[in-house]
Amino acid sequence: MCQSNNIYLPNLATIEAIVDETPDVRTLRLVFQDEEVREKFAFRAGQFAEYSSFGFGESTFCIASAPTRKGYIECCFRSVGRVTESLRRLEVGDTVGVRGPYGNSFPIEQFYGKSLVFIAGGIALPPLRTVIWNCLDLRDKFKDITIVYGARSEADLVYKHELKEWQERDDVRLVKCVDPGGAGPDFDGKVGFVPTVLEETAPSSENTIALVCGPPIMIKFTLPVLERLGFSDDNIYTTLENRMKCGVGKCGRCNVGNVYVCKDGPVFTAREVKAMSQEF
Amino acid sequence: MQIITEQNLRNLIDLLVKEAKLVVGPKLSGSVVLYEPLTAGTELTLDALPRRSSKELFFPVCEDILSYKREGGAMKVTDVDRSKFPETVLIGAPPCDAGSPSILDAVMSWDYKDEFYLERRRKSTIVGIACTKGDDACFCRAVGLSPDAENGSDLFLTPLKDGSYACNAVTEKGQALVAAHKNLFAEGAGAEPVPFVDQAVQKLDLVKIKKWLEEHFEDPLWERIADICVGCGACAFICPACHCFDINDEGSTDDGVRRKHWDACGFAKFTNHASGHNPRDVQNKRYRNRIMHKFKYYDDKFGKTLCTGCGRCIRACPVGIDIAEILETINAKQD
Repeated sequence: MCQSNNIYLPNLATIEAIVDETPDVRTLRLVFQDEEVREKFAFRAGQFAEYSSFGFGESTFCIASAPTRKGYIECCFRSVGRVTESLRRLEVGDTVGVRGPYGNSFPIEQFYGKSLVFIAGGIALPPLRTVIWNCLDLRDKFKDITIVYGARSEADLVYKHELKEWQERDDVRLVKCVDPGGAGPDFDGKVGFVPTVLEETAPSSENTIALVCGPPIMIKFTLPVLERLGFSDDNIYTTLENRMKCGVGKCGRCNVGNVYVCKDGPVFTAREVKAMSQEF
Repeated sequence: MQIITEQNLRNLIDLLVKEAKLVVGPKLSGSVVLYEPLTAGTELTLDALPRRSSKELFFPVCEDILSYKREGGAMKVTDVDRSKFPETVLIGAPPCDAGSPSILDAVMSWDYKDEFYLERRRKSTIVGIACTKGDDACFCRAVGLSPDAENGSDLFLTPLKDGSYACNAVTEKGQALVAAHKNLFAEGAGAEPVPFVDQAVQKLDLVKIKKWLEEHFEDPLWERIADICVGCGACAFICPACHCFDINDEGSTDDGVRRKHWDACGFAKFTNHASGHNPRDVQNKRYRNRIMHKFKYYDDKFGKTLCTGCGRCIRACPVGIDIAEILETINAKQD
């Protein structure tokens, strides 16, 4: 375990496996090199980390694996910039740096005994996937579990093998969709935007928590649908994906008004989000 | 009252240099006064406000936070040896500079501690000086400081009309500095203090300003004042209180350093998401963040205003944006 008081010092991790989720979205499974870190590294669903590619710098992603799955962590990213493109060039066996875990988390214990509806768009499934597996691994603690997940096109759906697994399980209901024009001839899901498909699916809001993550435009149109379905703002959770650098409340980048997403978030209720300065 | 003559102040610098301390003070560098390491007391220049603030003594423009090297196939990360940071005396900083660390301490030490900043703070003594050189861009009174505010100084000097300085050891560090060089200080009544320069902007009601900011996140004012902002970042870089930074690697994939370096919320890509979405997509939103951060958000979080009224941003702005004028406008608002 890193004994230094240098908060910017990462732990080293080895890439154990690589999964290409879409042509430009990749999952890395990482195992800490230090035995003590491997044993002691603990996180909660919703927390994020700073992942570094040596020679390029750090990028912020959620920890996409579930805290109930021990021995490794996973991150999932789209190659869009210098750091993510360099992370993409790494191979199994290569080393990355990991700082974290940072931020707050989904209060999963408070969801015990309730139904859950997960709503995600595009590459925003990873921040909810950690919660989904966390809850599926504790399946008897929850009532109905519904996942509404959509992307622009079939090719943009991430975790395809897991979507299949969820589709086949009888203790979780998956509603998969793609935007109009995004479906191939064999697509077995719905065609439509996530908020519309959510409204058609109409999960009950009775004793139910909604967890939403997606691009700002999806969130904007999803919140009114949830409201119409009877969800109160306290029963809707989301996680904000602001640009960050330090992850520890210093560099001045991720704030929404006086809320520091890295320290006060990234998990917020819809009530908290609505109270923020509207600058997303 | 303890008095130090101008000559003894310069002698003090010589002694501190001899003690192998890093002594930093305003010094003429070419035609510009800057905070620079002093090698002799004669170099101290107290007749102008240094162009850049003394913030960089604690929070450098750019600093290594780790190094990495691949050795025999395995990556090795090495911490920076902060015990090698030198014992430092900042001397001759007016209240608008001497006061900045006491503002920044809060963000650098809440929860996660930035030991790069904090170690430099622990190893530094600040000898502040009452400011008699203000110009029409100064507005320290407006933000609750004053030309003779001792806040942030360990030892505070007040220039007297006979050329000597009245000394007040504000903290234990200041007392230790005096005690270690007792023979340079003398007890005395002291001459009259040199008068301060009048400031154009007088004290503003920061509570009222904060309340207005709270209620006017959306306001035509932002577009009016900030659409001329060219986003050059000069205001942030010369500010004693701005503390935004970026982290990047310098070197190859096998051998290099990771660095923390200054950044500015005025830059277009500062908040740009990987998706291309930008929460602060136009310049006035970025400028609004600058004002909000200084006069509302920082106060919300840490109970302090993130501005010392040094006026550097006013002097440096290439398009003439005047933060004091903006504050006065808000202060005068009735709604």
